[in-house]
Amino acid sequence: MRTNSLAFRLTVSAAVTAVVLLIAAVIVLSELFQQTVQRNFDARLRAIMDGLQVNIDLAADGSPRVQGNFADTRFQLQDSGWYWQVAPVVQGGQKPAVSASLLEPPLALPATGLGNRDREGYARFSMSDAAGNQLRGIEQRLKLFGSDAEYSFVVTGNFDELRTEVQAFRRGLYLSLALIGFGLLAAIFFQVRYGLQPMKEMERKLNDIRAGKVEMLEGDFPSEMQPIADELNLLVQSNFEIIDRARMQVGNLAHALKTPISVLTNEARDHRGPLSDKVMEQIGVMREQVNLYLDRARRAARAQTVGSATDVDPVLQALARTLQRINRDRGLEVAVEPGPPLKFRGERQDLEEMVGNLMDNACKWSKSKVTVRARLLPQAGEDGRPWMLIEVDDDGPGLPPEKRAIAMKRGQRLDESKPGSGLGLNIVSETAAMYGGVASLDKADLGGLRAILKLPALAGSAASTI
Amino acid sequence: MRVLVVEDDADLNRQISTALTDAGYVVDKALDGEEGHYLGESSPYDAVILDLGLPVLDGVSVLEKWRRAGRKMPVLILTARDRWSDKVAGFDAGADDYVTKPFHMEEILARVRALVRRSAGQASSELTCGPVTLDTKGAKVMVNGMGVKLTSLEYRLLEYLMMHMGKVVSRTELVEHLYDQDFDRDSNTVEVFVGRLRKKLGVDVLHTIRGMGYCVQPPGNAD
Repeated sequence: MRTNSLAFRLTVSAAVTAVVLLIAAVIVLSELFQQTVQRNFDARLRAIMDGLQVNIDLAADGSPRVQGNFADTRFQLQDSGWYWQVAPVVQGGQKPAVSASLLEPPLALPATGLGNRDREGYARFSMSDAAGNQLRGIEQRLKLFGSDAEYSFVVTGNFDELRTEVQAFRRGLYLSLALIGFGLLAAIFFQVRYGLQPMKEMERKLNDIRAGKVEMLEGDFPSEMQPIADELNLLVQSNFEIIDRARMQVGNLAHALKTPISVLTNEARDHRGPLSDKVMEQIGVMREQVNLYLDRARRAARAQTVGSATDVDPVLQALARTLQRINRDRGLEVAVEPGPPLKFRGERQDLEEMVGNLMDNACKWSKSKVTVRARLLPQAGEDGRPWMLIEVDDDGPGLPPEKRAIAMKRGQRLDESKPGSGLGLNIVSETAAMYGGVASLDKADLGGLRAILKLPALAGSAASTI
Repeated sequence: MRVLVVEDDADLNRQISTALTDAGYVVDKALDGEEGHYLGESSPYDAVILDLGLPVLDGVSVLEKWRRAGRKMPVLILTARDRWSDKVAGFDAGADDYVTKPFHMEEILARVRALVRRSAGQASSELTCGPVTLDTKGAKVMVNGMGVKLTSLEYRLLEYLMMHMGKVVSRTELVEHLYDQDFDRDSNTVEVFVGRLRKKLGVDVLHTIRGMGYCVQPPGNAD
């Protein structure tokens, strides 16, 4: 998990909060438990204190005297930590009464703690005895019947017993809270994963858009993310539109430049001289640039089109009609051989450019006849989708096998005498490659050259319309 | 030969028109589709040079309107866009040929010459009528192998008549195809030029068909 991520922020903040709250819970709970235990302890001490006060009277010399056995056996075990003691507050020779457990009376009470008394006159205190026991005690001062002197009543208990109890509780508390903590951490982790899942999904879909697989974000997003998805879709769409517009403007600009280039060419040719030579040279550069950018605009336009399909036969018919018209002085016959109705999986314009260039080329070389036919390949391609072949035959001189490969290379012209930029076959080859297809040359049945285009067809396009 | 040039770029229009005028054509100019369409529909032309990207009314629409109205003059399309779809659209609208920009002026002249010749039913660039040979490429006239010097107007007159060899061409038709629009159509200069041309050729190929017009025919074929 990267530190600068939503998952990290959510996980860390939730984990820190959970840990802090759990620690606070430990402190508060153990404090509450301790207080409860202390209250219980104090209540027990008070019960003993009550028993002590009921069973006390004074000897003749004013010494307190306890009759009967009111407390449990711990008060008889030596150094048990459980003691009681009754002594006059102001010592006047009287003997204090103490429990049997207290070996070395009197119990030295700590100075602190005795000042704070509750409404019933109880003071609470902690101390340790001679045996090292931690003691908790209560003290109350009363006047006994038959005397004006105040007597201090003290009852203590062994607080160490209680401490073990508190510690056992704390251990249990730590263990259970630690378990809760781990459970919470696991829950936070899962929650963050699950909560951020739609973000991952959106990221994947955006990648698909960038790769040209889809055109927009589709599917349901959580209500908080749907507005973002909608905005992104608008953004993607406007991005496409901007690119389209820019592309169209590049095209328009390049086309618009052709007219001034024509004007300059004509003007320069009419006035020969060093200036016009320079102008002609620069016009040549401009012309190349215009063609380069038009070519690029065309390619870029192609790269992003998804899912279009073109009927093949109308394109072949239109091209044959046009080429026959262009070449009518030579009496060429340009024929489309009947075949199954096919659909090309791509842009109409690309199909027109590819087949148009091949047919134009065939017309230039042919003596009397050019034929074109399209057919579906019997076997589907490696991707399981159908392919088709478009073959353009002429009855011209043809090309020997070794020259056919050269003819497909960029800018190659085997015969300078025929008009054309020499880029025709190469553009066909590149365009076909963009669709995963191939352009190749072979010998035609008519005797001349056969140009073959292998292009992706639309599944079921032949079967569905027959 | 009367040619209409419909091109919205004034410079290019001027250059084409000048080149055509220099080559002996009578040229009318139009700078937008509407004007071009009007001229093409109202006057007889031997050829039209039509740009496709025109303001007001685009070239393909102009061409379609002419063809629907039954105008059959040969049309050469000028286009900056060299996509096949544009060529198909142009030819389907009724074009006879196309030239993509940028082009060389010689190409336009050669194409116009071929169009005019083809529409007149002549296959070769050399027109022959008995001892008279007219080379449309070089604008030269030979009689029995000897060069004859003609003025531009005399040449145009002979070329038009020889393009329509064997047919009777009226005086009005000659005026329409040989002179600028502001020519005084009532004058009898055509007769004067025909007389001069006969003298220069020195052979009997140019016949007057009384009340109808003129006709070029090899000597001896005339009635």
